Amino acid sequence: MANESEEEAIALKAAGAEPLPEGRTGLRINGWEIESRNKPILNSLRYEQWEQKLKTTHLPEMVFGDSDLVLLHNSSGIKIHFNTFDALTGWKQEALPPVEVPAAAQWKFRRCSVIRITLTILESGLAFLAVKPFQQVILDYDYTFTTPYRGSETMEMTSKLKAENITEGSCSLQWEDCMEKIDVVALASKEPILFYDEVVLYEDELSDNGVSLLTVKVRVMPSCWFLLLRFWLRVDGVLMRLRDTRVHCAFEKDENPVVLRDSCWREATFQSLAAKGLPSDSAAYSDPNLISKRLPVVMHKTQKLKILR
Amino acid sequence: MNVDPIQSNSNGHIDEQITQLMQCRPLSEQEVRALCDKAKEILMEESNVQPVKSPVTICGDIHGQFHDLAELFRIGGKCPDTNYLFMGDYVDRGYYSVETVTLLVALKVRYSQRITILRGNHESRQITQVYGFYDECLRKYGNANVWKTFTDLFDYFPLTALVESEIFCLHGGLSPSIETLDNIRNFDRVQEVPHEGPMCDLLWSDPDDRCGWGISPRGAGYTFGQDISEQFNHTNNLKLIARAHQLVMEGFNWGHEQKVVTIFSAPNYCYRCGNMASILEVDDCKGHTFIQFEPAPRRGEPDVTRRTPDYFL
Repeated sequence: MANESEEEAIALKAAGAEPLPEGRTGLRINGWEIESRNKPILNSLRYEQWEQKLKTTHLPEMVFGDSDLVLLHNSSGIKIHFNTFDALTGWKQEALPPVEVPAAAQWKFRRCSVIRITLTILESGLAFLAVKPFQQVILDYDYTFTTPYRGSETMEMTSKLKAENITEGSCSLQWEDCMEKIDVVALASKEPILFYDEVVLYEDELSDNGVSLLTVKVRVMPSCWFLLLRFWLRVDGVLMRLRDTRVHCAFEKDENPVVLRDSCWREATFQSLAAKGLPSDSAAYSDPNLISKRLPVVMHKTQKLKILR
Repeated sequence: MNVDPIQSNSNGHIDEQITQLMQCRPLSEQEVRALCDKAKEILMEESNVQPVKSPVTICGDIHGQFHDLAELFRIGGKCPDTNYLFMGDYVDRGYYSVETVTLLVALKVRYSQRITILRGNHESRQITQVYGFYDECLRKYGNANVWKTFTDLFDYFPLTALVESEIFCLHGGLSPSIETLDNIRNFDRVQEVPHEGPMCDLLWSDPDDRCGWGISPRGAGYTFGQDISEQFNHTNNLKLIARAHQLVMEGFNWGHEQKVVTIFSAPNYCYRCGNMASILEVDDCKGHTFIQFEPAPRRGEPDVTRRTPDYFL
């Protein structure tokens, strides 16, 4: 272990980077401060507070509300961060209609039969024999926790900006569509990884009907940083959704770094996969890395971060 | 202390097996088959609403977290010194479903009057094929025979238990098709967990803040409100419904003005949630004490706090 951390220290120094102080996870490199936090899920009290704040009665069963990833560029004040609250706010806003699981068909039949039996008995005048008809309400919320969240960005009033008399609110950040692409070839080169982490923001097992998972992975190399925010959904027997957001920044001497964001959303129903002759059992789709190419792209674009003054 | 009605000449062998399992070493395929045959004989005699006497310690989901089950026994006391009632979900998700479920079944065979093992929604052929147990059996035995042996046995697990006629224990929750405990006693449980109907509800439903019966937006699965719990407890002279099935940060969570409690016994669930686990001790005088516990120190499990860098794209 000692050797490993020594090697790490040497690699960091060679790249002009330094680790964050004891107790924090991350590093400083080329004017960026990159920090990740992996904390336990919210306790019951805070979970309820979040339900109130988000005006919902249902949240994912695992809400890693104190976990996040923050990338702050000191001289420009650009702060890109990934947090659970903003992601769930996105879920609430998108509010997709619920997706029915395969068993729902049988359930509908069951509800019909309950009503039918009760009515028959009532008509025959033997109401006292009736199984008490029960009120059932179908709850209506997107239990898949599908979110359009692609990260949060704010201008941080760093001491540098204050020294330049730039006031809060005088500039903001915006993503603009662009023709440039993230340099995947450069990213495939095996540069040493100076910092790596994966942060789970939320997760739900859909009551054993699949998985809904939002995570962000980051790696920092001597020449750039790169991250992947991934929303992965599998509703067993019904559909899969993969919403990937890749963000990349090559280190340059410029005051204002060039940050590119590639968004790629994929979606497929199990039915459509079966029609193509692909496997349609859930067990074949446990790892999104292995199967992402099988899912057709429904949205793809690249954007560049702009500072508006 | 009662002597369990098991042939005493076989005890030596099963005691050895329990010792081996306590070290997290699985049994052979043949041993598992013989063990499950014996377990089946015992379980088929049990009721759908299995009566249980106090003192007893009630436990929730374990999910293959073997080392945490060993920790549970260290904290709650060894079986048979302490009587146990487990409310299902022994397999899937964790790395040691095989060792976990084999140990619990071995304890059941050895001390049948001292441990009750109910069925959870994961004790099913369909669910275990998706969430880990099936793959783990293939990995550890090279074939699916052990998975088949266990899932056939799961059909015999009782669905619910009744502690001293006042604490109703089950994995999931209530069903609109069930008003009395006798309703449950009357149906044939020896089958795969169906996709709908009362048996499905007992293993799958959840309490909710919303009153009445709710249907999940999935289109399948019930939620039941406080009014339902109150009515059920009143009708059946119950004090409490103890159930598992849902992750709770503190390991237990009261609901419906203490008519229902959720117990979860897998600390740091999926090796990343950081939650506490708990067990509920019901003493001779029917008093309740929750004991919370944290994950056992780990040996041989992947350390997920330190992630291996990967060149993801």
